[in-house]
Amino acid sequence: MTLAFLNLSWPVFADALALGSIYALMAVGIGLVFGVLRLVNFAYGQLMMVGAFALAFGGQWGLPNWESILFCIGVVLALSLVMDRLVFRPLRGHSPAVMLVATFAVAFILQNIALIAFGSFGKTAGALAYLQEPWDIFGVEIRKIAIVAIATAAVCLAAIQLLLTRTSVGLHMRAASMDFGTARMLGVRANRVITGAVLVSGLLAAVATLMLSVEQTQVTSTFALSDTIYVLMGVVLGGLNRPIPATLGGFSIGFAFGLLGGILPTNQSQYLPSFIFAAVIVVLLLRPNGLFTRATGAVERL
Amino acid sequence: MTALVLEKLSVRYGAVDAVRGLSLEVQPGQIVGLIGPNGAGKSSTLHAIMGSAPIAGGDVLLDGRSLLKRRPEDVARRGIALVPEGRRIFGELTVEENLRLGLAGRRKGSNGNGLTRAYELFPILHEFRSRHAGALSGGQQQQLAIGRALAADPAVLLLDEPSLGLAPKIVDVVFGALAQIREAGFAVLLVEQRAQRTVALADHSYVLANGELRLTLGPEDAGDTDRLVAAYLA
Amino acid sequence: MSQARRIPELLVPALLILATAWLGLEVSTYLQAYFLDTLVRVAIVVALYVFIGNSGVLSFGTISFVALGAWTAGVLTVPSEQKKFTMPGLSHFLVTHTVGNVASLALAAAAGGVFALVVGLPLMRLSGLAAGIATFAVLGITYNVLTHEQKIGPGLNAFSGVPQTTAIWQAAIGGLICVAVAYVYQRTRFGRMLRAAREDPAAATASGISIHRQRLLAFTLSGALAGFAGGIYVHLQPLQVNGLYLDLTFITLAMLVVGGVGSLLGAVVGALALNGIYSFFSAATNTVDVFGWHLKVPAGTAEIVLGVLMAVVLIFRPNGLTGGREFSLPRRRRRVADLEKARATT
Repeated sequence: MTLAFLNLSWPVFADALALGSIYALMAVGIGLVFGVLRLVNFAYGQLMMVGAFALAFGGQWGLPNWESILFCIGVVLALSLVMDRLVFRPLRGHSPAVMLVATFAVAFILQNIALIAFGSFGKTAGALAYLQEPWDIFGVEIRKIAIVAIATAAVCLAAIQLLLTRTSVGLHMRAASMDFGTARMLGVRANRVITGAVLVSGLLAAVATLMLSVEQTQVTSTFALSDTIYVLMGVVLGGLNRPIPATLGGFSIGFAFGLLGGILPTNQSQYLPSFIFAAVIVVLLLRPNGLFTRATGAVERL
Repeated sequence: MTALVLEKLSVRYGAVDAVRGLSLEVQPGQIVGLIGPNGAGKSSTLHAIMGSAPIAGGDVLLDGRSLLKRRPEDVARRGIALVPEGRRIFGELTVEENLRLGLAGRRKGSNGNGLTRAYELFPILHEFRSRHAGALSGGQQQQLAIGRALAADPAVLLLDEPSLGLAPKIVDVVFGALAQIREAGFAVLLVEQRAQRTVALADHSYVLANGELRLTLGPEDAGDTDRLVAAYLA
Repeated sequence: MSQARRIPELLVPALLILATAWLGLEVSTYLQAYFLDTLVRVAIVVALYVFIGNSGVLSFGTISFVALGAWTAGVLTVPSEQKKFTMPGLSHFLVTHTVGNVASLALAAAAGGVFALVVGLPLMRLSGLAAGIATFAVLGITYNVLTHEQKIGPGLNAFSGVPQTTAIWQAAIGGLICVAVAYVYQRTRFGRMLRAAREDPAAATASGISIHRQRLLAFTLSGALAGFAGGIYVHLQPLQVNGLYLDLTFITLAMLVVGGVGSLLGAVVGALALNGIYSFFSAATNTVDVFGWHLKVPAGTAEIVLGVLMAVVLIFRPNGLTGGREFSLPRRRRRVADLEKARATT
């Protein structure tokens, strides 16, 4: 362990914070939709993938950076709404397990469409690649994207916190995720709340995509696939239906990956995913009720 | 005049008839009681009005317009507020947030005084407004649930067994508040199991058994236990 | 009398498999590959069904048992000399020990079963979404370990040197064995207890059924069958670990869902039908003739079609093609049949 500490440097630490920040945003995105729909969107990563391809197209068409970014955000938001209409709505009321499988199907479909359209080589999305360059801060070289990611995540999370606690839309969303039926009966508009959650979730996906694209400039059909899986595990670890623990869970996974990936030699860090997965299993065993079922503790069927 | 009218309302869950051909009317400034044994269909009636129970026949009219086939949130916005069984308040939100939630059911054109009215009627809510609703006692939560419904400035207030689980002294407070609500001009449909107190408070009460209306009682019948028992067991 | 009624439940799936095998023998070698693939997939989907169908609990982990079975059978049947070259990191024990085809299949089943038992002991307490995610984590761990651990297999490389002994009849027999085991299991008290627990857990527990134990039994059996199927699979073509992860998990789950989660017939019908469609669209990437049309589709269409079918079924007909029912002969005299059924179960 002492060796590990010797390997720890400011750039690695900053990168770990950055990855944690990006994962935290994704965690909020997934958690918001779960809160109002009780649906774990396995296809969240594919939303990001489509956004990344949009960014790539922006570059290909010679659009200035800001326009590419807006295009990316627009495409992701549009696809989120389409997903809500076509998949989430008809599935409302089904068990969460069925919804998970359905989103699994959507992810599979989107991934293969991208494979057909862009081949296994994919496209290059270099719009933000310049953020890979480092800033010199007190003699330490920290990548620009690290600072940008941390700052952007902080701003987004703060904005969402304000949205949830200070606005009526936010209040309605929180109530809907606690007890949807009663909220409706009080006059909360179900569809508006869900659409709101879907849009915010989509916006977060787009932001995360932009930041991930800095390091992964070659966008393929599996863009953000493993990230989504890890964030999902992190959210489960933290607590799926409580927003703050979910965010912390996502952040911790990202931070752990970034940190341990950076300081451990490869032959030790390659098993990191297994440790994360094992930790998730342990958490699920110790507190399954707290994470997923309501007070009844009833056994759910497929 | 805004009146709630049920015309031969029937509610059916699958193969079970919960309510059969129920007709009644609630006028503004009136409390109408709906009493009866367990499983009589009282709750189902309220849920049907709100649009969350399957209506198999008949009609629900508010101010002459039908409420059938409307989503619960739309029924709420038309001016019907339900205080549900078990109160169903949001324990993790503060008292004030719970009340603000009630504002979601505001009708178009109503002023935003809902919160003030709730605080006036139940001063304790104002005192505890920043506390988490889950920390309140049963009686206080009931007051919060009623306050929340009032915050929407509804035309009609539906209450599903508000006295359930409350100590007699608290029931006094709640029923006292209902009397004030009546005086303020609201139309109130009160579903209860405590037959005597309800019959005494309401302008008139209906006894529902097996989904059907059995008997109509006035406050003067509140002391007539035999009649009540006979109606329940019929 | 009611036992005899049940025979079609076994016969029809079995006949379907045999029919597929027979068809496979009649076609060209090029097309035969699709039939072989289909028969192996039937075995996997039946393994999936044994747990998910009977318990009603979602599991994403079955393919990890397939993978383990494939690894076991594969590593132990590659000739020692080859192993030293193609899998240089392999542990000494595995290099020096080689077994025959049938033995490798038995060991594959055992490996799958034991792994499932170990994993299932803690996990079978979970249901619903929690079970889905936990079993997904198991899949993730297996994938991670098999990809990187050179001591037990080829890691990221494709298996090479495994004797390709799976021909049509082996694959068909493998499928039939899985179907037979599944049928026998669901006819035993254990299968029926599990199904009772699926329908009404509270009543089942009140009747003294240990839900945890019954689920564990089904899970272990499912793992053994999956391992067995993995053994057959590895003898069919050079497998690579990426083909034993998310895509295969999705495809086999889709087959089960579309066929009908609750029945053995559903598993078999789903696998045959969907793999048929999948094979058609895969072949169409090289142009097929359909009633005089030349049809050519881009690679990846097959997966999309499968995905869309699964989504459609989930939304509109969640019980799948068979509605979760087994094949049964039409009832001629209703009352008598019911009476007999009542008598038989008291």
